[in-house]
Amino acid sequence: MLSFIGRSIIQKIVTLFFVSVVSFLIIHLAPGKPSQIDPLNPKFTPEILERFRQEFHLDKPLYVQYLLFYKGLFTGETVSWKDNQSVLKKIWERFLNSLPLFIVGTILTWTLSFPVGIRSAIFRGGFYDRSATFISYLLISVPGFFVAYILIILVVTQLHVPVFGMETFGLQMASWPTKLMDRVWHLLLPSVLGATGGIAVLSRYVRSQMLEVEGQDYVRTAKAKGLPPDQVHYKHALRNALLPFVTMFGLILPGLIGGSVIIESIFAWPGMGRMAYEAILARDYPVILTVNFISAVLVLAGTFVSDLLYLVVDPRIRL
Amino acid sequence: METPLLSVQDLRVNFIGDNTVARAVDGVSFDIFPGETVCLVGESGCGKTVSALTILGLVPMPPGKVMGGKILFEGSNLLEQGEEEMQKIRGNRIAMVFQEPLTSLNPVFTIGDQIEEAIKVHEDIEPEILRQRSIQILKDVGIPSAETRLRDYPHQLSGGQRQRVLIAMALSCCPDLVIADEPTTALDVTIQAQILSLFESLQKNWSMSALYITHDLGVVANIADRVYVMYAGSIAEQGNTLQIFNEPRHPYTQGLLASLPSRSKRGKRLHSIPGAVPNPAHKPRGCPFHPRCQFTVESCRSRFPEVCDYGKGHLSRCPVLYEKQE
Ligand SMILES: Nc1ncnc2c1ncn2[C@@H]1O[C@H](COP(=O)(O)OP(=O)(O)OP(=O)(O)O)[C@@H](O)[C@H]1O
Ligand SMILES: [Mg+2]
Repeated sequence: MLSFIGRSIIQKIVTLFFVSVVSFLIIHLAPGKPSQIDPLNPKFTPEILERFRQEFHLDKPLYVQYLLFYKGLFTGETVSWKDNQSVLKKIWERFLNSLPLFIVGTILTWTLSFPVGIRSAIFRGGFYDRSATFISYLLISVPGFFVAYILIILVVTQLHVPVFGMETFGLQMASWPTKLMDRVWHLLLPSVLGATGGIAVLSRYVRSQMLEVEGQDYVRTAKAKGLPPDQVHYKHALRNALLPFVTMFGLILPGLIGGSVIIESIFAWPGMGRMAYEAILARDYPVILTVNFISAVLVLAGTFVSDLLYLVVDPRIRL
Repeated sequence: METPLLSVQDLRVNFIGDNTVARAVDGVSFDIFPGETVCLVGESGCGKTVSALTILGLVPMPPGKVMGGKILFEGSNLLEQGEEEMQKIRGNRIAMVFQEPLTSLNPVFTIGDQIEEAIKVHEDIEPEILRQRSIQILKDVGIPSAETRLRDYPHQLSGGQRQRVLIAMALSCCPDLVIADEPTTALDVTIQAQILSLFESLQKNWSMSALYITHDLGVVANIADRVYVMYAGSIAEQGNTLQIFNEPRHPYTQGLLASLPSRSKRGKRLHSIPGAVPNPAHKPRGCPFHPRCQFTVESCRSRFPEVCDYGKGHLSRCPVLYEKQE
């Protein structure tokens, strides 16, 4: 057990190292340079450009740049090229903004997909199943931003609540219940929208998993014992159908970063996804690389958690 | 005359596909009397498993559909029982051991869990007594160190042990009837013999009736009181074991017996019935066996054969041989 954890951690660190090298190389091989952002800008004289190159070690060989960059990252000294702010501090702020969106969205996705998918599977071919299938495919095939605009129009014109940003500007002096409600309203629409695609896909997946398990011999054995349908479905079938989702559960962590660029852009939500997107447009290498590194850490941490969970839920995996 | 414990009468089950209808069970009738061991024999795909599953209401519907017939258990028709009544019968009055021991146990629960659950659902029982009973029944089916085995998961057991556990589970509520669907086909030969004698001794000790499904006539000779030979969804011949083995009256039964390896036929080539079992979606008209039969006459191709009575419960669906006899 402990040796498994040890081996797993070492393996993940090695992977992380390769990810860091490869992402560093890819960024530097990509066309365009930060020092060329705007050659027409009159303030960007050749001298400034030279100073810029020296300051950010762009004149050094690539491997030195690599070492210097990750040294800066781990000591917390890396700064954004755009505004000279500490990258870690910037990311942390954005992370705190993204977190509520992520948490609410994830909870919605996971708590709704399972009941919908399981019920569809148990009553397959029935009215409920067919409606759920229709709605899922509708939500999967219609682009998220389209649904977003329809919902925004509905909510803003019918309910008269503001939805853009994280809070309504100018409410700082209001009483705390008003403020709280304001935050909730602002949070609700983007999280629901972020979750719809996930619910549509995940509930399909739950349904097919459940259907497959319902056809297994051991489910027939459970019925042959005279167990009531609830025990057959929710004990014998469901417990097995859930196993593959343990793997997926570990993989939702990286969604913290990349999962929400479109939603954050539509709702002017100052989150991580948007920051990463803007950093890419501005060729702000330190920010891009740091975000990249953090996502890699999240992916690896997620798979590690999955591995551990699997040990707990599947008795066939023992070390 | 004694009344049968279970009487299946003209049972018909179809599987409805996208554009085919497979008549998997096509007019099957058999009786099982209290304490009796009845064997249902037939080639792969002739509808044995489907007949057994229908008794317990376990055929997946759709695609399955019961088209007609009766299943009388102690006089009441199981096909007309509601789901809750069936739950009281399954496992409690009629239990089943399945063909596939490797996949019939749930991989994520311990075998203790799975046995105890089978008892608990039908009986109000103290946890301590429940445990004792599970241990006892595991011992009865010949699993050593039963106390610790209860905490094992199915993957920690061998195939033979898993089949023993499934038998233990089926017998745990002392049912009146056990249906064993080829319980040994997935196991290797030495284990097969062990499981078979275990099954037989438990069933006799506890005076249960048994419906034993197999395609192995050797097994039939060992354990059956009476035999039903099934072909393509219906019963070709029925009789007690001696009648079937000594005076088979249906060409199909004769073919099956001729293909049985035996000492007297040592060194000779084994006989095999030419052709294959018809697809239940495209059965030939008339007698379903006629394309493979050496006695086929014109009427076999057009008319479904009627039952010919040889007396003492020996019945066969082959009028051609019946007329030859007279
Ligand atoms: N769920 C199902 N859907 C469609 N067809 C089925 C289904 N179950 C059984 N059948 C069909 O019914 C026929 C009878 O099958 P059954 O399992 O009863 O055969 P069997 O006599 O038990 O054979 P074996 O000795 O191989 O177990 C087969 O042709 C099979 O294809
Ligand atoms: Mg079968």
